[in-house]
Amino acid sequence: MHERSLVQTLLNQVQQVVDADGGGVVKEIQVQVGDLSGVEPLLFESAFAELVTEWFSQECRLVLDIVPVKAECRLCGQCFEVQDYEFLCPACGTGPVEVIQGDQVKLMSITVDSEKSVSGAKS
Amino acid sequence: MNTRVLSVRRDIQAEQKADAAAERERLGRRGTLVINLLSSPGSGKTSLLEATARHWAGRRSMAVLVGDLETDRDAQRLAPLVPVAQLTTGGACHLELPLVQRGLQALGDPAVDFLFIENVGNLVCPASHDLAEHLRVVLISTTEGDDKPGKYPKMFRTSQAMVVTKQDLLPHVPFSIEAVTEDALKIQPALKVLTTCAIDNRGIQEWCEFLEQQYQEKIESVYEPAVNR
Repeated sequence: MHERSLVQTLLNQVQQVVDADGGGVVKEIQVQVGDLSGVEPLLFESAFAELVTEWFSQECRLVLDIVPVKAECRLCGQCFEVQDYEFLCPACGTGPVEVIQGDQVKLMSITVDSEKSVSGAKS
Repeated sequence: MNTRVLSVRRDIQAEQKADAAAERERLGRRGTLVINLLSSPGSGKTSLLEATARHWAGRRSMAVLVGDLETDRDAQRLAPLVPVAQLTTGGACHLELPLVQRGLQALGDPAVDFLFIENVGNLVCPASHDLAEHLRVVLISTTEGDDKPGKYPKMFRTSQAMVVTKQDLLPHVPFSIEAVTEDALKIQPALKVLTTCAIDNRGIQEWCEFLEQQYQEKIESVYEPAVNR
């Protein structure tokens, strides 16, 4: 269950970004999670719900964008969406293939209300 | 209410990945190949390391960092053979780089040819953490069943080699090396597959030759010879 430590890292980064931008109340955090990232969205969401109040508030929403896995064949250059974790090139069938999308856990954006200062229970 | 949207677009693990890359570079430059061993509990990681240490005795230097939730039983088994440090996670299901670095410090940061990290027995979370390894090896024992690659795809996707252990038990268990290989190669077509038995040493020489070849490819041909080794 490494989702908990990932959420802690995420919230820490959100705090740093918001502080550097002048502070405010964090309302929404958008995160991209790739299908090959090893992150289980439900576990990530429940860890977020549990931990977010230590940093911000229960009103802070998490928006998860699940990204499918895409790969490119290094031999024939074919780009394809990976289904059922089969990394064989559908065009030439040999590979090797390189993952070009779907292994990321990325903080995309933060929505902030500027009128109140951030509660910031943790630093 | 004055609402603003801050665009970030940053990998949450970027800092950890950069730290791991820097540590990998440092260890490679001074002549150490780092191998992260991953598997289910009981698949034979410690036995494979014992057999490796016996095979290389006096010819190649190696050290081991052993990850476990509790106890130093595996470290005690290896201690008569090689320098070893225990990394106790106290409940965490995987190792992370700071713990590995602490273990290296405990060993006095030895300039060995091969540094093995025996990860916590778990086919899930360890796949998501870069421990500064040059080579990631997943073990699967013949007693576990040959359907594991498809069930734990990220582990096999992120590994460069798969070692099938406990070859001696093949006549007694429903396990097909062909089936596990076919399953794993769909996920990672470049995967090197090896078969071993640590009790009678079958495949140990091939395993050690593979590691030496990896040493040549990833260390000797990449880095300048280290000074004062």
